[in-house]
Amino acid sequence: MNGGLGVLNDWVYQFAVWLDGTEWSGALHESYYMYNWIESTHVVTLMLSLGMLFLIDLRLLGLTLTKVPASTLAARLNIPMWIGFSVMIITGLLLFYAVPVRTATSIWFRIKFVLLFVAAVNAWMLHRRMTASAGTWDNDPVAPRNIRIGAGLSLALWAGIVTTGRLIAYDWYDCYREQGEFIQFVAGCVANQAH
Amino acid sequence: MELLPFFEWMESSVLGTIGKTYGGVYAIGQSIHLFALAMLGGTVLVTDLRLLGVLLKSTPSEVVAEEAHKWFKVALVAMLASGTFMAAAVAVRMYRNDFFWAKMLALAVGILFVFMIKRPLLRGPHAEINPLALKSMAIASIMVWFTVAATGRWIGFS
Repeated sequence: MNGGLGVLNDWVYQFAVWLDGTEWSGALHESYYMYNWIESTHVVTLMLSLGMLFLIDLRLLGLTLTKVPASTLAARLNIPMWIGFSVMIITGLLLFYAVPVRTATSIWFRIKFVLLFVAAVNAWMLHRRMTASAGTWDNDPVAPRNIRIGAGLSLALWAGIVTTGRLIAYDWYDCYREQGEFIQFVAGCVANQAH
Repeated sequence: MELLPFFEWMESSVLGTIGKTYGGVYAIGQSIHLFALAMLGGTVLVTDLRLLGVLLKSTPSEVVAEEAHKWFKVALVAMLASGTFMAAAVAVRMYRNDFFWAKMLALAVGILFVFMIKRPLLRGPHAEINPLALKSMAIASIMVWFTVAATGRWIGFS
């Protein structure tokens, strides 16, 4: 397990340590109001980003706003959804920057990152499927099966992203604790970790 | 009325004991709370932004408000259930937390606002309502629910 991916873990750790050493990282972490406002913004913006995503997915599943053409709903709600996600990406990066080493070596953060990637791929595939079948079912209350699967998967993935995001605050699998080799590897713990 | 005994009872109840004993279960409760918050926010925003003429202008606002309200109720029940579970585990600490009381106040205002003002008003044809009143209500609604979310997050910081 300590081959190429072990080297990658080492690079990620070194990068996090470098970030941690920058002046603004410490300042951000130490600033009670700034850090908490950024974190609050990250959480509250869920209402805009995930809120709009919910409505699009529920429409595709035929569970809400079935009288509105699916493509119209998706196109209109995409804009506020992306405004929300943009704010979340910016605040998320700032939160990482404020606590880089612990976050980079958090198993929950790593799982969240993977889930975010899978959710992005799923969203892209869903968008492609919707574009390809445009006009054939737009006014139907329920979308075709392959699109419904994509919408259901989207909801499940975001449930996972929210959960793992929340779990980052817990230190059950932090590197300073006694962990098995597998957990240490997945969390990206490195030997003689000083931070 | 002295509320501390109630909070002490809550913390020693089965709900409080489960939340305190099993960190994983507590964390899942927190995740459900956040998920429900996102859903609630989505339903509030889609209705209010429609009333403000920002979103879904080609769809009658009555349709948007009606459909969104169904999921608002689902999200509210999920939020109240998960929130009660979370509060039970740390009930005495919550009793002494200013932001907890700020959130409870904002939540009470939000619920009363929705069921006593917003819903009764939006049940009829929206064209018959003064546009300024409609827009003011939408802005007030967004502000109330964002206050609920923000004060909720600050409970953890204080």
